[in-house]
Amino acid sequence: MSETTKASAGKYLTFALAHEEYGVPVLKVREIIKMMDITTVPQVPPHIKGVINLRGKVIPIVDLRLKFGLPTQDYTERTCIIVVEVELAGRRLMLGMIVDWVSEVLNIATDEIEATPDFGERLETEYMRGVAKIKGSVKILLDLDRVLAADGVVAQAAA
Amino acid sequence: MDSERTALLDSYEGRITQFACEVILDPSPDAVAIAIDALVTSLCAAGLDGCAARMRPLRDAAPADIGDAVARAWHEWRADDEIQADVLALGGDPELAGMFAAEALDHLGTIEATLLKLEETPEDKTLLNDVFRPFHTIKGNAGALGLTTVQQFAHTVESLLDRCRSGKHRVGSAEIDVVLKAVDLMTALINDLTARAAGKPGHPYRVERLALMAAVEEVIASGGECVEQTAVETPPPAAVALPLTDTPAAASAPAVRDVTVAAREPHAAMKEAQTAVKVDTRKLDGLVDMVGELVILQSLVYEDPKLAAVADERLTRTLAQLRRITTELQRGAMSMRMVPIRQTFQKMSRLVRDLSRQSGKAVELTLVGEETELDRRVVEDINDPLMHMVRNSVDHGIEPADVRRASGKRETGKLSLRAFHQSGAIVIEIADDGAGLNADRIRDKAIRQGLISPNDTLSAEAINELIFRPGFSTAEKVTEISGRGVGMDVVRRNVEALRGRIDIKTRQGEGTTFSIKLPLTLAILDGLLIGVGSERFVIPTFAVRESLRPLASQVHTVRGEPRLIMVRERLLPLVWLSDLFSTSAARVDPLESTVVVIEDEQRSIGLVADRLIGKQEVVVKTLGDAFAGVKGVAGGAILGDGRIGLILDAHGIASRIDELRGAETREAA
Repeated sequence: MSETTKASAGKYLTFALAHEEYGVPVLKVREIIKMMDITTVPQVPPHIKGVINLRGKVIPIVDLRLKFGLPTQDYTERTCIIVVEVELAGRRLMLGMIVDWVSEVLNIATDEIEATPDFGERLETEYMRGVAKIKGSVKILLDLDRVLAADGVVAQAAA
Repeated sequence: MDSERTALLDSYEGRITQFACEVILDPSPDAVAIAIDALVTSLCAAGLDGCAARMRPLRDAAPADIGDAVARAWHEWRADDEIQADVLALGGDPELAGMFAAEALDHLGTIEATLLKLEETPEDKTLLNDVFRPFHTIKGNAGALGLTTVQQFAHTVESLLDRCRSGKHRVGSAEIDVVLKAVDLMTALINDLTARAAGKPGHPYRVERLALMAAVEEVIASGGECVEQTAVETPPPAAVALPLTDTPAAASAPAVRDVTVAAREPHAAMKEAQTAVKVDTRKLDGLVDMVGELVILQSLVYEDPKLAAVADERLTRTLAQLRRITTELQRGAMSMRMVPIRQTFQKMSRLVRDLSRQSGKAVELTLVGEETELDRRVVEDINDPLMHMVRNSVDHGIEPADVRRASGKRETGKLSLRAFHQSGAIVIEIADDGAGLNADRIRDKAIRQGLISPNDTLSAEAINELIFRPGFSTAEKVTEISGRGVGMDVVRRNVEALRGRIDIKTRQGEGTTFSIKLPLTLAILDGLLIGVGSERFVIPTFAVRESLRPLASQVHTVRGEPRLIMVRERLLPLVWLSDLFSTSAARVDPLESTVVVIEDEQRSIGLVADRLIGKQEVVVKTLGDAFAGVKGVAGGAILGDGRIGLILDAHGIASRIDELRGAETREAA
């Protein structure tokens, strides 16, 4: 990953996924809602859980644990849906991500951000924009447009 | 306007000039009185009483500049006279006129903004196209409404733009200038017409219009090389120039400049006349969403067991009232977006009439399904494409009478416009019984235009596809009707912007049918709500033939499994949604279930539902681009409890079954 696509400093919303900490730019976040009933949609990859009605708008929901290949667990009281706005093929789209819990909003400075380390070929790093080291813990900063567009949330008709 | 009358009026232009010379030669009051009497008598004799009536007061007033005064009166009268037909045309249908004006003014606003951008990057072909297209649309609309003055004017300007577009003419400051002025004048003309149609006094723009048209011609003639010379500095051509000072005609150049100022005046009048408000559809969408939520919350409150336990008459009454009002509000919000397609269709019938007159082809138009309600935005956006297509059908599709006779057809061509619902979509069909698309000619043309190479082998569909390419036109000559190569590409772009699809069916010698299939963006759907496993689905009522609780005698097994059901002497396949959508849910025993018989164009199937919940009117939402590839689902419906139920699409389900069967066969093999 080249330097130019490295995450920029600013405010990040951090959340937990299977003992890992992730961060997304606050500007992309529209709201955080509690887990709710999701209507399953057929013929889509398993990490796309379905759709919800957010005040009259139909919003697709992605389970980030499934998306990242992390072990699944039952949803708990703390499970949240973070509604973000992403850009998909030039169009803006609202999308919900299921995460274990939401931690906090952090101000991350440029010198705290490092480019995504080279893990070798086994890890998908295309949707990582870098890692931030803060007080000894590591937050993985996500490039939302890529996370949610990479495999095409767009169902390529799993025919 | 008939040409005889025009010729008569033109001859009077000379007569008026002659009068002015006479009074200059002999300005004595007696001579003037005699001259003016002669003029008035001559006007009366020619049947121009209205004009004579305007001249008479001048005789008594006898102003010092009588020559100019007469010329001014003449020009004012002629402007009023010429515009009379247009005013009548507009006044005939105020609603249509209002739509035309609002649309045209919108377009003009866009054109102006684009022109300004174009001034900075004159080489930009896209910008030029963006100027040309709305201009073309205004011309078309004006033509459809019978507004001769606007149409003629637009046509002249369009010719210039077309030359620029095809690279025959370089865009320079003179071009931008003159087109900008044309935009101003066009705005003024349209406002003026609307004001007149509403019975308000108008402003005579005739002289300005003619002068500007001449200026445009001048720019065209200049070939686009002389960038320095601006249009207004060219001397007004002979047709308008009178040997008089201070008449609007002689001062035509400044008059053109003044139009911008004059154009502002009728706006006040316009505002009074308009009682409708143009609202951004996004605002409406927002409102509809919010009202939808309100309804859901309302029903949550209404059905709350704690509240139900309170036996309070006043509370019950208040809640009932709240319910009624919310429902009413929802219906109101919905109806704001939905409009019948009737008005658009009527515009087309006017268009066909005019086109038929212009082209000399007799065309009979049939309209079906005018009541079909469409989303407001769809109706607005479908207007232009429809117009282009109707034009194409009359101009290129339907053959001239002699050709039709020779091929054994009725001389009167048939054109039909149909609107109807089909498996969750709205289809608008334009069918003509003309010559059909000529594949060879399309191919030749495309090769000549470099769209394809001569070695390309194309399927019939691919050849038909070519007509949607920008710049493609098979018309032999440029007519006022069509054939400039705008049209089908715009059509497709507009239809695709509505997430619709356009299909062509054509048979050489028998005619062409274009069908535009549009999704229900925000239609209310009458649906049957069924439950399967933990999910609920909505089946559009129009796709449901019946629902039944099957008897053991009706269900037939194949290889030990219940796979067929006999309904009214017909054997239908039983289909489980869990199979169709490859979910893990187990198949339900059909005897424990409700079978819903759904049908699309070709076939019927028995859909096995765990339970039938009921009939419901639901608001249709698209699932968005994210689920564009999902088959068998037409969208989502927001149900009473705020959750989403998927809307099933009979057609999609049928093709999904074929897909699965294909996969099975492949596996078996």
